[in-house]
Amino acid sequence: MSEQLPHAAQADLGPAHRWGDLAGGLATAGPLLDAAVSRAADGGASYADVRLSETQELRLYAVSGNAPDERIEGSLGLGVRVLVDGVWGFASRPLRDAADAVAAARDALSNARAAAVGSRERVTLPPRAAECGLYQTTAAVDPFAVGGAVRERVVAGALAAAAATAGVVQAQAGVNAKRSHRYFASTEGSRQEQHFVETGGMVLAVAAGGSVVQRRSYPNSFFGNTAAAGWEYVEGLRLTEQAARVGAEAVQLLTAPVADSGTADIVIGPAQLALQVHESTGHALELDRILGDEANFAGRSFIGPDAVGRLQYGSAAVNVVADATVPGTRGSFMFDDEGTRTRRTMLVTEGVITNFLSSRDSAARIGAESTASARSDGWGFLPLCFATNVFLEPGTGSTGDLLDRMGSGYYLDDNRSWSIDSQRLNFQFGTEAAWEVRKGKRTRLLRNFSYGGITPQFWGSLEAVAGPADFRTFGMPCGKGEPKEWGFLSHGAAPALFRGVRIGVA
Amino acid sequence: MPGTALQAWAGQDQALTALESALAAADADHVEVFVAARTGHHTRFAGERVHQPQTIIECQVMARAVAGTGSARVAVSSLAGARDAVAAASDMARRRDGAGGGGRPHGVTGPGGIPSAAGLCHDSTLAWDAGARSALAGRIMDGAGSAGVSAAGVLTAAITELAVVTSAGQRCYAAATEAGFSLTVQAGEASSYAADLGRDVSGLSVEERAETAVSQAAATGNPVPVPDGVHDVVFGGLATAELIGFLPDFGFTGPAVAAGIGLAATRPGAELAPAGVTVADDATAGAGLPFPFDCEGTPKRRVELIAAGHVGGAVSDLASATATGGHSTGHAHIARESSPAPEAANLIMMPGAASEADLIAGVERGLYIQRLWYNRLVDAEAGTVVGTSRDGCFLIEDGKLTAGLRTGRFTESVLGALARTDGIGSRLISLPVPNVWNGCSSAPAIRVRGFRFGSRPGKV
Repeated sequence: MSEQLPHAAQADLGPAHRWGDLAGGLATAGPLLDAAVSRAADGGASYADVRLSETQELRLYAVSGNAPDERIEGSLGLGVRVLVDGVWGFASRPLRDAADAVAAARDALSNARAAAVGSRERVTLPPRAAECGLYQTTAAVDPFAVGGAVRERVVAGALAAAAATAGVVQAQAGVNAKRSHRYFASTEGSRQEQHFVETGGMVLAVAAGGSVVQRRSYPNSFFGNTAAAGWEYVEGLRLTEQAARVGAEAVQLLTAPVADSGTADIVIGPAQLALQVHESTGHALELDRILGDEANFAGRSFIGPDAVGRLQYGSAAVNVVADATVPGTRGSFMFDDEGTRTRRTMLVTEGVITNFLSSRDSAARIGAESTASARSDGWGFLPLCFATNVFLEPGTGSTGDLLDRMGSGYYLDDNRSWSIDSQRLNFQFGTEAAWEVRKGKRTRLLRNFSYGGITPQFWGSLEAVAGPADFRTFGMPCGKGEPKEWGFLSHGAAPALFRGVRIGVA
Repeated sequence: MPGTALQAWAGQDQALTALESALAAADADHVEVFVAARTGHHTRFAGERVHQPQTIIECQVMARAVAGTGSARVAVSSLAGARDAVAAASDMARRRDGAGGGGRPHGVTGPGGIPSAAGLCHDSTLAWDAGARSALAGRIMDGAGSAGVSAAGVLTAAITELAVVTSAGQRCYAAATEAGFSLTVQAGEASSYAADLGRDVSGLSVEERAETAVSQAAATGNPVPVPDGVHDVVFGGLATAELIGFLPDFGFTGPAVAAGIGLAATRPGAELAPAGVTVADDATAGAGLPFPFDCEGTPKRRVELIAAGHVGGAVSDLASATATGGHSTGHAHIARESSPAPEAANLIMMPGAASEADLIAGVERGLYIQRLWYNRLVDAEAGTVVGTSRDGCFLIEDGKLTAGLRTGRFTESVLGALARTDGIGSRLISLPVPNVWNGCSSAPAIRVRGFRFGSRPGKV
């Protein structure tokens, strides 16, 4: 990761970022950005910003018995957002030539003028000084430079290992990589460029016996895990070794017992807890949702705009931070998608709400500063408030210490199903696996484990979080907006002990 | 009125010419190349402003090449890159030839068989421009404000295109308009909801349904909790469409059949529901978002997942059809960040004869559930789904809607609900299926005798 002025030559970029039509920095992208910004300003926009990006994704996925699917998908385009007489307008399109930059600005202006017909309220955007900078992620081994035979060997090995246990009826393994150049410019004079490389891997085993079907996955359910890193991340996953484990566990689950329904103490593992943070903390703190902008689809929040410093969200052990400056994850960046420089922001401090996930528009409406949470799905969609590197801060000690502290209960991890209401209050989750814990030790494997609760009560039952050594991050996509767009995020947690949770609810 | 005109991004001649020219760059045994484009105009509003007026143009050109035992796909975002995509896919496929790692790759679709694309494009939708949508949004918000409630929603006009050319001689193009709306009206803790989707905006009665939603929310007092227990429930069309959207997960797809998992593989022909229950994926029907072929250029066939109450067939693509020894039903799909897999993209539950009011009148005490939310699969074998009710839900007392309902959680079997269905409405309502290209689920209201909200016996 580095910070400097936007670069003028490919030599300023790491080797993994020297690819594509937009690797040349502002010398290449600048004229396109300027054309769109100028067209917007000349057309009457009091504010405009332009996001120009080029992306390439590589995937090799294989399902047992089928020919592997290897694909590379490229995309190049831009999105222009304007504010005209206090009304927003947006337009995006693929970029074929410079005329598309001007056309996108023209369409955005047209949309803003049309929207004025229906708008009774006007936006006042506080002015901001220009921000310029260059950010690039680190990749020790460029995943796009790795030979096809190497990818093939990793995937085939994992697939075979996952399917090796009798009873596995379907296995899936895959690796993926994504690289992107993202440029931003605004009428305020900001000029930014960010260059990303992500790499990931996954394995899934499905076992069937009689009328029972069970699944296990690694390193996370629903297409594994992806990090801002190079091929070294995939090598570190040890997919083949883990594939053998998940295959065996999927088969063991076929005959595993089901936990009794009731109330129990539980230790939630990092993968499941990261999703819990995403659903019940991250989403609940998105300020656009709190202000009603997303009421029709994503919903609202039980947290009100006056909650900062007042709402007891959880126990004193709950400390949640948004920090996109933490490198190496899918939520790592220097500037969000409306050009706000990111910083570490405490969202929950010792159980009390201390900030929101906000954008410029939403923050201005409550008289606050944006927390750099405006993210968009590439060039094509509007920036919305998304959770960005939202982590439950680790505590002390090890997972083993937590299990000792719990004594009897359950250890669970890896999500199987998730549901939460539109206020982010009433949730119910299922996990792929759980283990009964007796005298501080994991014992028998359990299937179809589920738990549920009401968000502030649940977080109020958090007693302790394991220390930094057991903290893990997970990249995940998130859907929001109309039309629905994906935010690519990261959440992290160390295992944590909750007392008196409702289990066996499904 | 300002606003950009809605028009196709690629166009038939340009799309087919570019794809056919790209095939010339192929150095492989088989090649298919498609362009999927969509121009979407969206007017989002909330409170007192149109806060997100958007024009979003998306375009993906994807080539798939097969060389010996190797296959690969390469995609770009412009037609100008189609030739390079075909060449790159060919190179990758040749590199993969002999690499092993699974079955032999499937071929490509041969010529012909495409149904007519007539009736997919509607002038009324093309004319529903940003100015008209924004003015309507303003009227809805004004009406809500006058009634002391608030409204948030989206009005969408779009045009979707797909063109496919294969080395085996298939050559097809279709464009289709799409109009949709959804609206949530909030009155304190009470709410109402309306939504629909189709090719022709003139069939959606957007303003009339918005006015109904506003007046319904305004007339609803403080909502009451959903009582824990088993209820007679009338699900509105949107809620029913959500429920039937889970059917493919229960084993009505080619890969599930190939793996020997799920209903189509393990219980073919078994009785699941009353004879009035038929759910088909039918992209040739008028309802929802019909489209004549898939991204492999295979004509779409009607597939009855539940046929007159009995387990029917599975949707497939070329790969899964090859694995099971059958023919593709035209349901190829490539989702982001996922392996290609067939999708039921235009699910339709066949309507009955009853009006929604008739269904409600047949319930002495029960629930009317209009909208479900955050529904997720729990157990594919039992058909169990977890989710919540959301806006526009009411108690039914003596055959009439009475108090509004707060959100209630359920963990129930969709298959069980269909088995206990004793009334089916006559009017289809459609909703989009996220993450599925041109995806739609359409259903009428249904009356289910016995659906549990809250905890189940033995559960907390």
